[in-house]
Amino acid sequence: MDGLTERGFFALAVFGYGLSAIYSVFLWRKGFQRDDRLNYAVLAFFFIAHTTAMALRGFSLSRCPVNNLFEAMMFIMWTIVASYLVLGLFRRLRFLGAFASPVLLAMGVFALMPGLDTTEGDVSKMASLHAALILLSYGAFGIGSFAALMYLMVERDLKMHRARAILSVLPSIQRLELISTRLLIAGLVLLTAGLSLAPVLMKDRYGVFFQADAKIVWSGIVWAAYAILLVARWWSSQGGRKFAWGAVGSFSFVLLTFWGVNLLSKAHQP
Amino acid sequence: MPIITIGLSHRTCAVDVRERFAFSDADIPAALTELKARGLVSEGVIVSTCNRMEIYAVTNSSERKVLDELRDFIVAQKAYNNAINGEFYLYSEPQSLEHLFKVACGMDSMLLGETEILGQLKKAYDLALQHKHTGARLNKAFQRAFNVAKHVRTATNIQRGSVSVASAAVELAEKIFNTLEDHKVMVIGAGDTSEKTARALLSRGAQSVIVANRSFDRAAALALELGGTAVSFDNWTEEFQDIDIVISSTAAPHYILDRTKLEPIMKARRRRPLLLIDIAVPRDIEPEVNFLESVYLYNIDDLQAIADGYLKQRQEEIAKCEAIIREKAQALLEPSASGMSFQPNLAQPA
Repeated sequence: MDGLTERGFFALAVFGYGLSAIYSVFLWRKGFQRDDRLNYAVLAFFFIAHTTAMALRGFSLSRCPVNNLFEAMMFIMWTIVASYLVLGLFRRLRFLGAFASPVLLAMGVFALMPGLDTTEGDVSKMASLHAALILLSYGAFGIGSFAALMYLMVERDLKMHRARAILSVLPSIQRLELISTRLLIAGLVLLTAGLSLAPVLMKDRYGVFFQADAKIVWSGIVWAAYAILLVARWWSSQGGRKFAWGAVGSFSFVLLTFWGVNLLSKAHQP
Repeated sequence: MPIITIGLSHRTCAVDVRERFAFSDADIPAALTELKARGLVSEGVIVSTCNRMEIYAVTNSSERKVLDELRDFIVAQKAYNNAINGEFYLYSEPQSLEHLFKVACGMDSMLLGETEILGQLKKAYDLALQHKHTGARLNKAFQRAFNVAKHVRTATNIQRGSVSVASAAVELAEKIFNTLEDHKVMVIGAGDTSEKTARALLSRGAQSVIVANRSFDRAAALALELGGTAVSFDNWTEEFQDIDIVISSTAAPHYILDRTKLEPIMKARRRRPLLLIDIAVPRDIEPEVNFLESVYLYNIDDLQAIADGYLKQRQEEIAKCEAIIREKAQALLEPSASGMSFQPNLAQPA
């Protein structure tokens, strides 16, 4: 593996996530009745390659690798897999991998597209911290949305009296809702911390605390969406399916618009 | 000296025959002493449960002859005057060992894969051991049977899941609620199945139970048995706000709970999940309530389908279990394992 670059290691990790995605189809068809140890092991193994890619890039730049779309995607995926490996220590939560790996594969293939791994100029430590916190929050939102997706599946199975609801080795819907809520709270805290650094960075770079940049407005919308979702969860008991759809929808919005917003943002161009 | 087995079970005869041949714990040591005194067996264990009566024994005489004599002994002991017509099964090695292992694994039970029989088998063995009716061969065979049961439980799905309506209801509750510990159960109509279901939920940690029945005395009696409280049948909806699991089995000819009644209650409950188990026929709860958010309604057919699903899953495991059992029985019969060589004989049905 001496000849592999960080992109090579990352491509290897994406290949592994692809294998996991294929195996996930089998788990799905089998009704999640078997322990998901194999999928967990596959993701854990290729996570090593992913971490190696991150480390190589980080050491070569002497900073956290979060400064272009390739690095951002790599970082979000790394956060998702790391969170999954921790949650997956609990047997019933190991199936989250089956929900995560298809998205990881899609994100990985997108990240490897040419033109995304651009060379950045000097980036301050605070800018790196700002980006890292925000990308960590997207990772938490991602794994939270997978838990919500699992909730929707189990809840539907219970409503429709499908045998899979009982025969599968999946957690209760209350537990899934709890996990999803906690991950979204963690994500919102990280996003708030990351965004709170933005005015300082703006002042340093452009001499103003705020400007109506596409990504800044978009980040505000994402923050507001998650904040409303969590507040509604408590104040008006909008838990259950509505909350789960909100979590899945919000993360889908982030994934689908992240690339376009980065292209539109002048404040986030080198 | 081979191990032989003679017995009868739910597979070979009805309960009226089984009850005639049942041994009480107090009678077993004396029966084994008698068998040894007659020189029929050198070691023996009698297993007597509601579904089977079996004698596992070691003999140094001709197996066929001893099996016949054992059958005659049992018939005489129990003063059974009717004709014997296929009720007894007689096994010699290796079938006797395979049968013992199957029984230990719950594969010969009425409820495939049930675990209660393992405890009963251990109890029967302990009783014989205490009275010094076992020796090297039966000790080894029973210890191995307990190990095989453990191995089969971990290596296969033969004991997985609920195969009764009550345990299916518990499993369902555990798929909805994080834990049953802080959840209250309401029983509407004090029927047998609802009582079993409530007991099963309580045994898994449900916080408390409220019983409502048309006859308040019956509700109070059941509440006392379950350690809960009884409420008047006319006021049961007042308690509904704090309840998370409802088991309904009244004899009402119409729905006692419908969507119109439940909708405002769910609002007041702030959409906390509610599991409704309707085991009444005709049904007590309008099927439409299942369309309400956070309401999960299951009727008796739904629960039976879950139980059947598990049973099917268990049946699919039979071949895997039998292969393990055959292998373990052969391993026990190998000279190195038993300390001597045995010539297996084929089983002879009575």
